[in-house]
Amino acid sequence: MSKIPPSEELPEDVDDQYRRASALDPSRPSEAVRRAVLAYAAQLAAERTTADARRKIKWTRTAVNQAWWRPAILGTLATAALAGVLIAPRFLARRAPPVAATSSAEGSVRNTAPALVAQAPEPRADERAPPPPVARSADMRSPTGRERPKVNAPASGATASAGAETASVAEARQRRAPGNASTMTAIAAAPRVGAAVAPTAAPAEPAASFRRAAEIGDLSGLQRLLVKQTDIDSRDAAGRTALMLATLHGQTDAVAALLVYGADPNAPDGNGTTPLQAARAGDHRAIVVALQRYGAR
Amino acid sequence: MTDAGESDEALMGRYARGDAAAFELLYRRHELRIWRYLERNVGNRATADELMQEVWFAVAREAVRYAPTSRFTTWLFTIAHNRMIDSIRTSRQQVSLESLGYEAELVVQQLTTEPNVGPLAAVVVRDQAAALRQAIGQLPREQRAAFLLQIEGDLSVEEVATITQSSFEATKSRLRYARTKLRELLSEYA
Repeated sequence: MSKIPPSEELPEDVDDQYRRASALDPSRPSEAVRRAVLAYAAQLAAERTTADARRKIKWTRTAVNQAWWRPAILGTLATAALAGVLIAPRFLARRAPPVAATSSAEGSVRNTAPALVAQAPEPRADERAPPPPVARSADMRSPTGRERPKVNAPASGATASAGAETASVAEARQRRAPGNASTMTAIAAAPRVGAAVAPTAAPAEPAASFRRAAEIGDLSGLQRLLVKQTDIDSRDAAGRTALMLATLHGQTDAVAALLVYGADPNAPDGNGTTPLQAARAGDHRAIVVALQRYGAR
Repeated sequence: MTDAGESDEALMGRYARGDAAAFELLYRRHELRIWRYLERNVGNRATADELMQEVWFAVAREAVRYAPTSRFTTWLFTIAHNRMIDSIRTSRQQVSLESLGYEAELVVQQLTTEPNVGPLAAVVVRDQAAALRQAIGQLPREQRAAFLLQIEGDLSVEEVATITQSSFEATKSRLRYARTKLRELLSEYA
């Protein structure tokens, strides 16, 4: 090449000549390549769309989002605890005498924990005046207390055991404690349970799935498995490769795709029959031509 | 560059968000140019088909990471060039379709299905296409790659230099030599 003196100006005329000649060149990529590329791209696009949708659902479903649950629960519990500590003494200070008169057995318990036990007999005192607003708000926390542990737990636990006059606050606390623990465990475990459901079951054997895809002409399946490094010339029990199965079932596109991917066009089955022989026997003319072009004998 | 009124970069963005139709538009827009670049560099149809598929698979996979800091064609031809170089280096054994007469068959098929081409014109067309292929094949590898990158990718000297990891001056020199040689080889068809 050094014999050709380089000119200072680029000879652009040769570009036009190249383009004219190129326009006359009939060479084109094979249709199988085009189909394979577009199918693969469509598959990836579908996967991305699905992934995006899952991501959106995950963000909108705060109930299963651990990052939202924990601060919300702890905040609620802390607020309820503070309210209980501030409000309960005032409520008990006004009603302590009547309660003490109705039950002498509770005396010892009240001495140790007056605020908590004083609420226990309240539902039975129908004739009494309605409790002040603060007391109503304390009662309203009770039902939800089953799902909001720690602070509401002793009050609701004492209410539930109101019929059992000898139940102590300590026992009530102990009864609630396991419930709280299990509730918290369940809440903490909720996202993990959801995550465990998401993955789908993998095919039992990629090579078998690959041959099956060839057999039924599933091009996207072929591409997906090839990307996973599946052996393109793996054989079934009868010694048939994916190319042989596609040939036997007249799957022209699958045959073309397999050839482009580098499948052995001469791999015989267990009986020694080659794909070309099988294609001829099945009168699959397009497959015969394709196999011959890729060196089948 | 925008046969549908949308840039390549915008189409890539659409595809990265899951629009398969955008990818198809991109593919059809650049299919032939990439194909010619690959096929004329490796000189083998089967290898070119395989590389073509690898290139576009890579484009599809990397779409989410594609950042339009440079032109899409530069990025695309960079992938094609790298795949082609890898292919040459590994020298994967391929069945030569030329030896099976596939190219001749394609030419005949084209000529017989084109009603406006008479027998004499058919010979000229076939000869000219074959001459071009032969001339390209005679160029040294670096010159051929540089020339095909520029003419098929519509790339600047700087872009070709970047893709081939060569200096600007070396690339410019390769392009000049390539064109001079091609003009000489194709002179009788000018």
